[in-house]
Amino acid sequence: MPTPKFNVSSGIRYVILVVYLVVVVFPLLWVFYTSAKNTQEIYNQPFGLPKIITHPDAQSLATLQTNYRRAWVDNHFGMYFINSIKVVSISLGGILLLGSMAAYVLARFEFRGRNFLYYLFLSGLLIPMQLILIPLFFQYSSMSEFLTRTFAPLARSLGMGELTVSLHDSHEGLILIYIAASLPFTVFTLTAFFRTLPSEIREAAQIDGASEYRIFFSVMMSLAKPGLVTVAIFNFLGLWNEYLFGLVFLNNNALKTLPLGLASIGMQAQYKSDFGLLFAGLVIVMLPTLAVYSFLQEKLTRGITVGAIKG
Amino acid sequence: MIFVVVPALNALRYSLTRWDGLGEPVWVGLRNFISIWQSGSVFINALKHNLFLMFVPGLFVLTLALFFAYTIHQRIPGARLFRVAFFFPNIISSVAIALLWVLIYSPTKVGLLNNIRLFFHHLFSHRLFSHIRHFFHAPEAYPFTAYPFTESSHLLWAVVPMMIWSATGFYMVLFLAAMENIPETYYEAARLDGATATQLFFRITLPLMWDVLTTGIIFLVVGGLKVFDAIWIMENSHPNEKTHTLATLMYTKVFEEYNIGYGTAIAVLLFVLVLLATLLSFRLLRRERLEY
Repeated sequence: MPTPKFNVSSGIRYVILVVYLVVVVFPLLWVFYTSAKNTQEIYNQPFGLPKIITHPDAQSLATLQTNYRRAWVDNHFGMYFINSIKVVSISLGGILLLGSMAAYVLARFEFRGRNFLYYLFLSGLLIPMQLILIPLFFQYSSMSEFLTRTFAPLARSLGMGELTVSLHDSHEGLILIYIAASLPFTVFTLTAFFRTLPSEIREAAQIDGASEYRIFFSVMMSLAKPGLVTVAIFNFLGLWNEYLFGLVFLNNNALKTLPLGLASIGMQAQYKSDFGLLFAGLVIVMLPTLAVYSFLQEKLTRGITVGAIKG
Repeated sequence: MIFVVVPALNALRYSLTRWDGLGEPVWVGLRNFISIWQSGSVFINALKHNLFLMFVPGLFVLTLALFFAYTIHQRIPGARLFRVAFFFPNIISSVAIALLWVLIYSPTKVGLLNNIRLFFHHLFSHRLFSHIRHFFHAPEAYPFTAYPFTESSHLLWAVVPMMIWSATGFYMVLFLAAMENIPETYYEAARLDGATATQLFFRITLPLMWDVLTTGIIFLVVGGLKVFDAIWIMENSHPNEKTHTLATLMYTKVFEEYNIGYGTAIAVLLFVLVLLATLLSFRLLRRERLEY
């Protein structure tokens, strides 16, 4: 709607936008540049630029390094980071594989109970995760027992020693929940996407003698790439920032993901007024999602756009 | 299915028992639900807090997002910058956002808002303003005291700007997408007929993006019912009756007071509320679908 007439009202509106821009961007910038100051400097001049910008020298660089070393090494942010990478990437792999297979079948094949299955997946969108949280927590005990009983003899016969499966306080348990919780949205989005692909492609591949597996993995997966990328971005952002499930299912500090680590250290740092550490920790948590957003910003907003138009 | 449907059914089962998580669950029928309404205060208070966090920030978010989307849609200079920047808070971990706002609200020397107040304090203490002070019968000099924004008694109000800050960008992008989908010809035709800008917005833009607006409202309503992270972090994982939401109350009941039946009953009610709110929003907001 191009009406680029300049008048008072559009001027005021522009000013409001610029003010809001400052409100949104300044706190983020503040976190980034303050993470280069030590707690004393933060206390004396909370909003001044760090010395590394005003007087870059060896000492100011050392301050920056100290903050990040204290966060990354001494306060285990490095460990949390690796835990997050592990949990999120395995979950994402599982979500994309299972989600795309389920969606492809639901979109392309006629079979009894297809609609039932589809609505079963959709019902997952309506059920709040808080409802399944507690039962799942207790269900995990019996599931772990069952898995141990099933697989321990197998492991013993393979010479792998005694095997005990524990889904509590383990990455495996968290990953399983993450996959299950993300599948409804993923299947819903990808089913809609697969339906838009022309069915002639599959027929052509069949005539060329490709098996259903070939068709799916080499033809359909490459055609579905845009849809997969969108789903992957949304799930990555959601899982990287996830807090409540982690809080319930992980107790062991060595297993915690970044949001959990940040939360416990952040709450302590408040009391100790250890601001240098807190700011560095915030940056470590925010940086990956900011990077993903900067690179894939167009795809992300287009994903929302497509979702919005389709309703 | 093992991970969603079975636990959901189990939730119903647990909610009808008294259980500490170790011994055998004791069947108590609907007693958990009855005691929720009787003991009232905790649950009802939490529900009120959820409703507050649904409506108050929601109203601001919707208005701001519509305003921003509408303005940016008019191809103003820097439109792309605004769009990209406003969305930024949406991708940050809710834990990080809560901690960031704890810093912004902090009563220590770091607190951004208290520093702004301090700035105005100094400004108005200046002798240039002595006449104004005199006019308002304000004392000549008074000491500056930092305001504890995140005190439990008014923490919910402190959460409002934070939620607006973090959510507006998402809804703006959503609405902007819907606006860009409206064919230009409609506006041209209306303008030829002499429609004003206000008329264009209320007669064309809003009706033609009604579906998306409904989606947005449902997101906000459901989001308001599920609030957990913000309160949990800002209350140092110990919310009290002034700040509990349904989700934090549920967590506390189950994992700190080991009252699994009661906690699960809250979860079940939360689910019912989400379902009701969704259906109700659909009903209230349903309009004839305009095809274009």
